[in-house]
Amino acid sequence: MSNQSVHGSRSSARDRADERESTAAVRLEGVTHEYGSTGGRFRSGDERTVTALRDVSFDVPEGMIVGLEGPSGSGKSTVLHAVAGLLVPTSGSVELRETDLAALSDSERTRVRRHHIGIVFQRFHLLPSLSARANVALPLVQSGVPRADRRARATALLEEVGLGDRTTHLPGELSGGERQRVAIARALSTDPDVIVADEPTGELDTATGADVLELLTDVGRDRAVLVASHDEATLEVADRVVTLCDGRVDDVR
Amino acid sequence: MSDDDGELPKAVDSRRRTRWSGIVGLTLGRWWRRATRTTTGRIVSTVAAVALTIALLVVITGVALALADGGVTTGDDADVRVIPEDSGTLSSVNGVEGPRLGETNERAATIRAQDGVDHASPVLVETAQLEASDAEPRTVRLVGVVPDEEPRTVAGLPTGELEAGDPHYANGSYDGPREGEIVLSPTAAERLDADAGDDIPVSIGGAGETERVDTAAPSVTVTVAAVADEGSGTGDAPVALVHLSELQSYSGGDDGQLADRLLIWGETEAAQSAASGAYPTAAVEVAGGTDPSALFDDGLAFATSVIALLVGVTICASFVATTMGMTVNEDRRTLAVLESVGFPTHSQLAVVAVSTGITTLVGSIAGVGLGMVGIVGVNAAANATVAPGAVAHFHPLLVPYAIGVALLSGLVAVPYPLAVAARTSVLEEVGR
Repeated sequence: MSNQSVHGSRSSARDRADERESTAAVRLEGVTHEYGSTGGRFRSGDERTVTALRDVSFDVPEGMIVGLEGPSGSGKSTVLHAVAGLLVPTSGSVELRETDLAALSDSERTRVRRHHIGIVFQRFHLLPSLSARANVALPLVQSGVPRADRRARATALLEEVGLGDRTTHLPGELSGGERQRVAIARALSTDPDVIVADEPTGELDTATGADVLELLTDVGRDRAVLVASHDEATLEVADRVVTLCDGRVDDVR
Repeated sequence: MSDDDGELPKAVDSRRRTRWSGIVGLTLGRWWRRATRTTTGRIVSTVAAVALTIALLVVITGVALALADGGVTTGDDADVRVIPEDSGTLSSVNGVEGPRLGETNERAATIRAQDGVDHASPVLVETAQLEASDAEPRTVRLVGVVPDEEPRTVAGLPTGELEAGDPHYANGSYDGPREGEIVLSPTAAERLDADAGDDIPVSIGGAGETERVDTAAPSVTVTVAAVADEGSGTGDAPVALVHLSELQSYSGGDDGQLADRLLIWGETEAAQSAASGAYPTAAVEVAGGTDPSALFDDGLAFATSVIALLVGVTICASFVATTMGMTVNEDRRTLAVLESVGFPTHSQLAVVAVSTGITTLVGSIAGVGLGMVGIVGVNAAANATVAPGAVAHFHPLLVPYAIGVALLSGLVAVPYPLAVAARTSVLEEVGR
């Protein structure tokens, strides 16, 4: 697990991008996905097929934050789900460190997600009956990490995201910004290679959103981060922005 | 990309154990918070439903145990009882005799001589016709005992009202003097319209007989030594105590010194040892220790307990399946989150199964407690109304039995919440 601090001076995203190697942590190659088709484990149940992605290809290099923008229904979330291994595209490949997720079984994809991918949801999706610390330690339970180590790791992560005094609070006792920080800490608990964030500031006010973005920027120093958002401020922290429209890559800048 | 790649088997086992203990701990923590902090009360209502069902099972099984253990004629204060194997409720039904103990007078004397034994008395129960003051025969159950100087209770009646000893026995010759005494229960006294000092003709025969005197049996007269107080353990039963050998003579039980059971007072261990020595093949029961295996020897009691078991499992499983299914349905997002953070399907299902198991276990423990209270309540109600004495017995084995039944119900129920859980779509849930 990396020991880097999630706090630190914030440099220009473009400058950092120039300084890093461009090793692709995630590579999407010709990804097409149709909901309602036979591909993928999770189908809508609707007999009609809806094409969510059409021949989408791009890389997310290690140490780089890649933003995904586009109107609602453009396929941003589908891309995130494919990268997170929650969805198997109808065709094309999604490689995580040169491992094609589509070639893996469900259980193998789950294992990859557990060890290599952290997910941050717009609505946090913390378990309401667990404390902040237990939520952060959740992925470590399945990894078989001993209880004392789980607690220590979760406490350290909560301290790093500025919630050292909130470890025993339930999600319902935290503000929106605090909940998202807990969610980010949870995504970092297994020290993943890739962070996938879906509208991470969508439920937050501007000031709180800025704090969360700063946190994401910090955690993205040694990882590949893929962020989907409508929000310009969020996309500004990205080193690269991929624009989707009707399931196609419309622009990369 | 396996979890266990490169790890030694011992490390893999350790990690697996840690993982499962973590999942169980996680589930316990969630269960407790949801049971105590959520407002829907789904968990609490499931626990309550299981508890009530198990309490019902415990009470009905307790009643079945009491049925198997005999009726009011077993209401004694002995420390140890010796009963023939394969005896049961039917033996106390009029006109149907069950197995009896033989050589009881002799062996009781031997038992009395043992260290640690205060007293031993065979008990013979016979149905007899006693003539009431209106000259009409009334059916009364006569209980033959050997009284001593100490106040003791047999069949809910005080033996101290009879003269101590059993002189008619006369070392097995049955030609000693008759005491001719009888101690009546309040109901028997009322039926016979008799008071202390009254003489009552007796004929041994049985209920339902229309003849006043059974010609096959000698007709004798007994004197009422006492009428037991209201509130004695006989309740509404028309029961009466007489000296054992006299009843044996009336009923023909003197041939073989027969008795239905043998009661021993004294130190439990000494009494048990003496009883086992005297009757190695008979069942030896310690006071307060109803033998649950008696259920299998008694058709009615066994049927009652089996019905209670089937109804309990059915109701309990239905409640658990329905409410846990609803709980899981409301909790799909949690399962989706578990999936998104890397819990495979079998671990998610384990969370659901453990949660169901905990609910059932807690409900069953509460149910056993409620059942114990229920048994006390049933006995109190029976005492206050129609059937004084213990109509339901509690046995420690009822605790694991009830918990086992509840867990079996949980096992029967768990496929439904698991099926609901397995239908969860992570994308649908996290996308909401």
